[in-house]
Amino acid sequence: MQTSVNKKSERKAAYIFVIPAVILLAVFLIYPALQTVRYAFTDYNIMRPDRIKFCGFNNFAELFGDKDFWIAVKNTLHFTVLVVPFQTILALALALLISSRRGGVSIFRAAYFSPQVTSMVVVAILWTVMYNSNPSSGLLNALLVSLGLEPSGFLSDPKTAMNSIIFMSAWQGAGYQMMIFLAGLQGIPKEQYEAASIDGAGRFKSFLYVTLPGLKNVIQYVVMITVIQAMKLFTQPYVMTKGGPQNATRTLVYYVYEQGFQKRNFGYACAVAAVFFVIVISLSMGMKKIIKAE
Amino acid sequence: MKKKAVAVLLAALMMSGVCTACGQSEERVNEKGESVITVWSPSDEPAIEQWWVDKIEEFNQSHEGEIHLQREAIVRADSYAYEDKINAAITSNDLPDILYVDGPNVSVYAANGITIPLDDFFPDEDWADFLASSKEQNTYDGKIYAVGATESSVALFYNRDMLEEADIRIPESKEDAWTWDEFYEAAKALTKGDVVGTNIIMDKGEGLPYVLEQFWISNGTDFVSEDGSQADGYLNSREGVEAAEFLNSLIQGGYANIDPIQKEFHNEKAATMLGGSWEVSTLEKDYPNLNWGVTYFPVANNGGIPSSPTGDWSASVTKNAQDLEAVREVMNFLFSEDNVTTYAKAISKPPTRVSSYDVLTEYNEYPRSIFREQLMETGHPRPRTPSYSVLSAEFSEAMLNIFTGVDAKQALDEAAAATDKDYNKYYAEE
Repeated sequence: MQTSVNKKSERKAAYIFVIPAVILLAVFLIYPALQTVRYAFTDYNIMRPDRIKFCGFNNFAELFGDKDFWIAVKNTLHFTVLVVPFQTILALALALLISSRRGGVSIFRAAYFSPQVTSMVVVAILWTVMYNSNPSSGLLNALLVSLGLEPSGFLSDPKTAMNSIIFMSAWQGAGYQMMIFLAGLQGIPKEQYEAASIDGAGRFKSFLYVTLPGLKNVIQYVVMITVIQAMKLFTQPYVMTKGGPQNATRTLVYYVYEQGFQKRNFGYACAVAAVFFVIVISLSMGMKKIIKAE
Repeated sequence: MKKKAVAVLLAALMMSGVCTACGQSEERVNEKGESVITVWSPSDEPAIEQWWVDKIEEFNQSHEGEIHLQREAIVRADSYAYEDKINAAITSNDLPDILYVDGPNVSVYAANGITIPLDDFFPDEDWADFLASSKEQNTYDGKIYAVGATESSVALFYNRDMLEEADIRIPESKEDAWTWDEFYEAAKALTKGDVVGTNIIMDKGEGLPYVLEQFWISNGTDFVSEDGSQADGYLNSREGVEAAEFLNSLIQGGYANIDPIQKEFHNEKAATMLGGSWEVSTLEKDYPNLNWGVTYFPVANNGGIPSSPTGDWSASVTKNAQDLEAVREVMNFLFSEDNVTTYAKAISKPPTRVSSYDVLTEYNEYPRSIFREQLMETGHPRPRTPSYSVLSAEFSEAMLNIFTGVDAKQALDEAAAATDKDYNKYYAEE
């Protein structure tokens, strides 16, 4: 009797505690998400909120024949497929470098983490200046020329623009993953390394058979969040290239912004957003399945 | 159990719906009972920010107890950031009373009922004092939807030392402005080492259509038809493609940079530039050692039409304004003869009121006289079409694509098609 009363009041308390979170989620996530789906079936132009007409699946039909949409899908995948391994390996390498040091760990940790603390907009503007195609003003091109190499177009050449963004994004983002790896490295018992070295394992072998298996869960987590972050790429193309040149850096989220705000096709942008949502959800569910199967 | 959770969620959802709906009915009155009038305009140079501070104080002092004027300065960032902010305010029905918009956007907002006509905001004798070019840009469907204090123009700035060294002719009158061929040859001759011959990219947002449309007009076409309903056959006409190819030849030859550094001309890294009227005061103030001059906008070969850009930011009144009497009072204050003159002086742009030129006599003398002359005689406002936002973004993208190797005809075809698609989708039936 006593226990069931307790349980009841506990339950009540639990609801009360949950309410603020539920309200916040409902107002800022669930409601807008549902609205997005609703607008995806309308011809909503942002300038005329009073003249919204239902248009069935028109937006989706248009979307599948839209060349720019498919380019955005391709660019988003290009970015994700390259940046995830690059950034993860870079972060792991930095973490290993730092953890193998005795002195100055906190200095290096802070140094590698500092790009992460800086706003992406600031970083993007700085890199735009460094990537300037003109050797007399672009730092990286000045470097290339002084080494006797040909200057590169970087952001103004459609062949190199996306890769330039990938490199800069990995540099900016690796610090965060490095911190997670560092924590993971500390969780690997010292005894395992000792045992390995007694068995005659060198540095490389103990990395391969002790460190990597010990970090398995951490790596899975890092890859997962990097993929989701990478899919949402927006700031860099917005600040650095405006999706150009020749569509080379137009990503899905940038396309949503461009259609919705610049061209004011809000209904169409919502349709793109809805498709984007489906892509991201299925991607992360797929990844979860693969991880579970292992 | 689950049912309860669903019920809570639904209740929260409905609440959130109510919350978004109640945001708009707020009355624009402060605790003193004064009608609060809000102005949005782009943040600007210190001199103009100070002008706002002074004028708002002056206005509020003389209207104490009745009207309280306030301004929000919004960063524009050489991009479409300001328009993004307006778009967000339109969706949330939370526009300010007075909204500054760039010239070509006046028709966009007017066509969509975002702003209201101002014809009866000023007496006729006041309207008569405003420049025709400014009124033309701000008119949509026969009504005036915005009023500006300043105009703008673009002309060709040159580094006098570099031109003299290369022995290049400097045009003395509008009639012998450089032709495209002369412009090209000059840019070619002036490109040496790390100095390029010219700078044609003001910024990669609105700067591109603002400056470069003149090449279309001068070659006998334009971006869109007279009534603003069609881009196909104009933007991508033979003359238009020629204009784009000419501009591209400057970039491909290496005579102009696609990524110019900030103040490239000012820092003697470009021998000439297509620069705005506002550069005159920057050059006078911050680059006293630069030996520069300014001449007329280049004209297409074989008797092209002399043309130069016009249009500037102007104030419109939004549909969300509540106390129209107070708004009228503010507008009459902001655009009085005196305030147009002081504003134009502070921002270093040509004023829109004819009478202001009696006070600002510097516009009678070189170099500012060039801009005044262009404004009165060769100025062409940007297209007045409700699809301007799409046109502007598409044109910028097309030009950058052409500069990086896409065929001019193909890029312009795509831009024209996208613009026409927007017009036909939203505005054609009206």
